[in-house]
Amino acid sequence: MGVKNILKKILIEPLVIISRDKAGLVGFIVLLFILLLSFIGPYFVKLDTEVKLDKIYQFPSREHILGTDNQGRDIFSQIVNGGKDVIIVAFLAGLISTLIAVSLGSLSAYAGGLTDTVIMFITEIILTIPQFPLLAVLAAFVRLTNPTMLAFIIGFLGWPALARAIRSQVLSIKERDYIEAARVLDLGRIHIIFSEILPNMLSYIVISLIMAMTGAVYSQVGLIILGLVPFYGHNWGLMIQLAWTRGAIFYKGSIFYILSPIIAIALFQWSAVTFTRSLEGIFNPRLRAGE
Amino acid sequence: MSRFKRLISNYIFLRVLRAILTIFIVATLTFFIVRLMPGNPIEIYIGQLMSQYGMSFQDAKNQAAALFSIDLNAPLSKQYIIYMRNLLRGDFGVSFLSQGTPVALMISAYLPWTVFSVGISILISFTLGITLGMLSAYKRGSIFDHIMSTIAAILSAIPNYLIGILLLIIIGVQLGLIPVSAMRGTVSPGIKPGFTWIFIKDVFSHALLPIMTYVVSTVGGWMLSMKSSTLNTLGEDYVTVAKARGLPESRITFAYVGRNALLPLFTSLTMQMGFLMGGSALIESIFVYKGIGWALGASIAQRDYPVMQAVFLIITIAVIVANFIADLLYSKLDPRIKIGGE
Amino acid sequence: MAKEILNIENLFVEYSNIRGKVKAVRGVNLKLYKGENLALIGESGSGKTTLGTAIIRLLPSSGYIKDGKIVYKGNGNEYDISKFNEKDLRQFRWKEIAMVFQSALNSFNPVLKIWDQIYDTAKAHGINNRSFVRDRAVSLLRYVQLDPERVINSYPHELSGGMRQRVLIAMSLLLEPKILILDEPTTALDILTQRNIIELLRMIKADMGLSMIFISHDLSLAAELADRVAVMYAGAIVELGSVEDIFYRPRHPYTLGLIKAVPTVTAGFRELYSIPGSPPDLINLSPGCKFAPRCEYKKPGCEKEEPMLVEVGPEHLVACFRHKEIGNGR
Repeated sequence: MGVKNILKKILIEPLVIISRDKAGLVGFIVLLFILLLSFIGPYFVKLDTEVKLDKIYQFPSREHILGTDNQGRDIFSQIVNGGKDVIIVAFLAGLISTLIAVSLGSLSAYAGGLTDTVIMFITEIILTIPQFPLLAVLAAFVRLTNPTMLAFIIGFLGWPALARAIRSQVLSIKERDYIEAARVLDLGRIHIIFSEILPNMLSYIVISLIMAMTGAVYSQVGLIILGLVPFYGHNWGLMIQLAWTRGAIFYKGSIFYILSPIIAIALFQWSAVTFTRSLEGIFNPRLRAGE
Repeated sequence: MSRFKRLISNYIFLRVLRAILTIFIVATLTFFIVRLMPGNPIEIYIGQLMSQYGMSFQDAKNQAAALFSIDLNAPLSKQYIIYMRNLLRGDFGVSFLSQGTPVALMISAYLPWTVFSVGISILISFTLGITLGMLSAYKRGSIFDHIMSTIAAILSAIPNYLIGILLLIIIGVQLGLIPVSAMRGTVSPGIKPGFTWIFIKDVFSHALLPIMTYVVSTVGGWMLSMKSSTLNTLGEDYVTVAKARGLPESRITFAYVGRNALLPLFTSLTMQMGFLMGGSALIESIFVYKGIGWALGASIAQRDYPVMQAVFLIITIAVIVANFIADLLYSKLDPRIKIGGE
Repeated sequence: MAKEILNIENLFVEYSNIRGKVKAVRGVNLKLYKGENLALIGESGSGKTTLGTAIIRLLPSSGYIKDGKIVYKGNGNEYDISKFNEKDLRQFRWKEIAMVFQSALNSFNPVLKIWDQIYDTAKAHGINNRSFVRDRAVSLLRYVQLDPERVINSYPHELSGGMRQRVLIAMSLLLEPKILILDEPTTALDILTQRNIIELLRMIKADMGLSMIFISHDLSLAAELADRVAVMYAGAIVELGSVEDIFYRPRHPYTLGLIKAVPTVTAGFRELYSIPGSPPDLINLSPGCKFAPRCEYKKPGCEKEEPMLVEVGPEHLVACFRHKEIGNGR
């Protein structure tokens, strides 16, 4: 499988499928917009940290597109600067989850037998334990001091759900003829997994990665709101947490301050999920519109 | 088939076995996390006692031992056995902060409220979701379908605790429909529990926002799953044959399409319950709804380790039991599942 | 003169597709007589299944009758099935005409017992008396050589494929229909089970005197069970005649091809014959004879004008410009 082919599968194929699905296209554009806003935006819109007590909770205006918060700071700048940390940690956690899930899932499916049973057993156990309480308890014990730790903890707990799905995907591919041919040609187990099975699952792996990311966002923001992530400087989740702990929620004028980060997170999640769903059209054509 | 073979191929038996094993493993894990993690609570507590109260190491250690119901001098293995034995007897230790209140007592006060709110929510959400889902499938491509599916997609993507905050803001604060501060807690103070209308009304008004949150955040998922499952089922041969047999539309919709479309959703039911119990930690905290989720949040905030440990275990057990019930239900509904070995 | 029971007049059936309209049935005229077995033979895409499902108006949502009539003559009256509304159709289906679909493997609701599904059928047609239905079900199941007590209380997945096919046939006879349509009744069954089903169908014909329409790609099925055969290609009937006419005096190149393609066990080794080429695109049909591209008797005129059915013998019709040569060649 040449590099050109792989690029084609990751980039071109999905884009073609998405453009046919209107919702997926919108999701993709929104996602791209949020990513650009969060990563490139901060170079243009600096975080407003100046306390201006005469401008508390102002309505949106030309000067402050989303209004100001309880200390007169511009909300829009807070939103622009608030996504990067959350998204990076989510991506890292998602990557870890996906890597573990792909390795274990495909190994389990391909090896079968005792290996399969043992791996699936462990997966079932971890799946049964409610993920968020476990994370919260661990975060309380471990005292997270930097984003990498956070990403690792979330990543390490997020793989079981994905592993099961990956395993069934690999199982269905495993039975196909070209795998049988490779086996007959005695090409070796690792080689078969990496050169034959996984490339055909690339789109599926991308989907899994994005879904893992949305799960990581859920866990992360939840932990932030509970106050278990003390090291963060500023991000969307922190905005919500501050609003909640300081009782800003109950004040009518604070609505822009609290609504902005919620909408930002919601939009990110929604666009990621919608984009992914249109990618799924590859695997379940019956869901495609009109058929 | 030998009795033994028949026993182990029995679906229910296997499920029970797996449930017990999982609970056992989680209890063990909890024990070891508490004892062995760096900066584990016992060490911290001892440190606190020594620095805050100037206790000697031995005194502090003894107090810690009493509070955690463990013998710190015994070897780890013995501590473990004592811990497990205590668990089986329902002894979860004593709370740090609530002046020595047995944790088991606290749990029995909080747990029913969560089971109540989550249980009702799942019932409402599931019923509403599958109805809307089937309707969407039958009216595929219509405006109803498009609107419902879009709303469902949007709602499912937003984290459930954020929906809780949104509901709180919109209904409570902005529209002022619900007196939010008065709605803290699970019941208003002073109201006697019992089957009186006053009590029931009070309970429901307090549980309203949490229930709404659970329902709004999960109904979309059910709708979309049921729609997809119904569409699959509508394409099955037996539905066409049913029409060829001249069966009335209502019979086909319920007994031929509906019942079969429901079956795949049961696997999600188990995941859903685990997720909601997990989310209750945040959602109950937001509304200060004093259930087991709120207890977890509060105990974490206050670093009340015995409570934290026990609540976590209880939440896991609740999820396992709920899953088990869902599994049983599924085996009753799908005749293809073999209950006894054949 | 045998009594007519079904008269399909100039029927056109189409499907809506993203690419255009699929002309699945194009101007079919066909009569079914009381007590006879008619075989509809053709490959996939010939329109035979569409024709069969159109008779009881069970086309998928993208399909519709464009033109023509389906006249049913029963109970002393004539009815045009193509004009029935939903209510009429529901009463009509299974009671007057029953259709057994290809391979009963998935024809039963997995979550209901066989008894429930039989009773459903009876109840849908106004027969509520449980014991009456039960007696009839038991006798029908026994007739198809199944153990009634065991089958009635079973779920579909507990029965084998062959058993399910028999139950479906038994159920089709429940309301004593006048016409039985069977779509590929023996495909997807093993050879022994096929034989059993064929014997069963013969028995039904002898005992109950109903008219049957067999839809199949398998010519040998027609040889076993049919009185008359209609060969379909690209949505139209290309040859129609008695089973002897078709097998001993075929006059259409396609029919000839089908016969040649059936491998024989008794003949010596020879190369397997298959008709070259593939079926035409039913959305963009070329003018003239639709079989011409694959035909070894093709003449220049064949691709300009579509041949109509002409009589070449008593009750033997063929749609081919060169039927005379083909008739003499054999």
